[in-house]
Amino acid sequence: MIGVSIIFMGGILTLFLGLNKPEQWSKNTSALLLLLASASSWFEYKGILNFDLLFKWVPQQMLDISGTTEWMSALLLFLGFMIMNIMPSNDKKGADIPALMLFSLSGGILLMGAEHFVMLFLGLEILSIPLFVLAGSNKDNLNSNEAALKYFIMGAFSTAILLLGTAFIYGGTGTLNLNEIQLKLSFASHFGEFPILLKAGLILVSVGLLFKVSAVPFHFWSPDVYEGSPNRIAVFMAVIVKISGFYTLGNIFNSFAPMSAWSEQWILPILGITILGGNIMAIGQSKVKRMLAYSSISHAGYLLLFILIPFEENINVLATYSFSYGLGTISLFYLMDQYSREDKEFSMYTALFSKNKLHGFLLIIATLSIAGVPSTIGFIAKYQLFSSAFAYNQSAVLIALVGSAISIAYYFKPFKYAFDNSGFEKTDNSERFELNLNSVYLLILIVITVIIGIFPTILEYLL
Amino acid sequence: MQLLNIFKSLDISHYIYLSTVLFSIGMFGVLFRRNAIVLLMCIELMLNAVNLLMVAFSEYMGDAQANGQMFVFFIMVVAAAEAAVGLAIIVMVYRNTRKTDVSFLDSLKD
Repeated sequence: MIGVSIIFMGGILTLFLGLNKPEQWSKNTSALLLLLASASSWFEYKGILNFDLLFKWVPQQMLDISGTTEWMSALLLFLGFMIMNIMPSNDKKGADIPALMLFSLSGGILLMGAEHFVMLFLGLEILSIPLFVLAGSNKDNLNSNEAALKYFIMGAFSTAILLLGTAFIYGGTGTLNLNEIQLKLSFASHFGEFPILLKAGLILVSVGLLFKVSAVPFHFWSPDVYEGSPNRIAVFMAVIVKISGFYTLGNIFNSFAPMSAWSEQWILPILGITILGGNIMAIGQSKVKRMLAYSSISHAGYLLLFILIPFEENINVLATYSFSYGLGTISLFYLMDQYSREDKEFSMYTALFSKNKLHGFLLIIATLSIAGVPSTIGFIAKYQLFSSAFAYNQSAVLIALVGSAISIAYYFKPFKYAFDNSGFEKTDNSERFELNLNSVYLLILIVITVIIGIFPTILEYLL
Repeated sequence: MQLLNIFKSLDISHYIYLSTVLFSIGMFGVLFRRNAIVLLMCIELMLNAVNLLMVAFSEYMGDAQANGQMFVFFIMVVAAAEAAVGLAIIVMVYRNTRKTDVSFLDSLKD
């Protein structure tokens, strides 16, 4: 609860700061606020600090940011902090982009903590309306315009579908509160079939959210939007929207657990085509950014496994997976952003190792982690996920394993160019390691990825 | 008086059919129309179909807290915010292309 309050106030503060200062100022302020919010959320989760007195007046029926939701909000804020810091910004006057990112993050946290469909809808809209603006923040670029319009139309369309589903669920159960719905459903499950209204409602709500997290039949907008929007916005969408969206999907399916035998029938095909489709389409891409977009679609497929397994028992697994996915995606997007000046093809990585040792090292670690190779956090996350899902659904895990094997084909493509030194001449500038703030953040990314990969017990302390 | 009797004979299923039809009109509009402003109108139509259904369910179930009717106000407010952002995006596109047609949306492709 403290995290979302800090960044919401901070967003307003940042807007005022942009009146006559360059964007760099508001960016640094918002990054500091994000770190503060993330740390205080984590301390509150650990019970080291207690802010209950501040939030006594908050009505408790609609919003519950405590327990693992609090941890996830700390994670979301930390990943937001990393994105804000390492992705480069322009030097123009104004604070609109950092402030909108803060508002969007607060929406993501409200979405994760939602206990009521009204709050869920509001959180989803606070998450996505700033993103419509951010996707088009490169105003003179036609691709950015196209991305904004496409994202807006798809976002509003999916929201309308989600709302129709909410109305059907309301008609079927008579309540909009997720806990009450769970209670009513567990009574109703003793009387056989569930009403058709309720089934249609659950399908529509999940379709609305699957649009947002870009699972395969509903994914067509996402590579275009990622490619058109500015790089730091694309990584923001890929990380923040996906993590909060999946946590919410898990939350909803947790409330609809009595219907799980029925919902599994259509979640399983979506999971299969998301994993296989995302991975196979990623192989054919020639542009790095589109490859990363399809890779994030395939990760949506792995995350769908959480819907098949009991949510509350495996919530730590979801937290670990989100952490590893966030770190890997931020690293790969950062490298793509740094080298995509001349061309957007894979050859942008030519002689990366000779140009910059730190970037080369980050490329290796991030790729290994996101592909799930041992001694990285990505392996730990995938291992925990697959082993906990195996007890409930073997066929789904089998599909996921095949998908991971396919993903090696495109994740390791940049290596072919990164080690290729032909046509590269050494200059004085290359190979000099500068210890500036940016390289410190990159080192943090590398260290977290490797240390947790080697000593997974650290996670038990963090969680 | 004759007219009021017709309203009394309406069942909840009529409301469900009506709003589903309205929603479908909006949905097909979004999928097949090419003008960005018409798309925006179709999205509003979808949201208003949901509003109608929410109010009908709320009244039908005699919800003491009127959850559904309260939800409608939230949907209306958010729809207004969404329309504001959407129109701003359409204006931005119009400045660059001199068109509000979404058929220009094909430069990003595999």
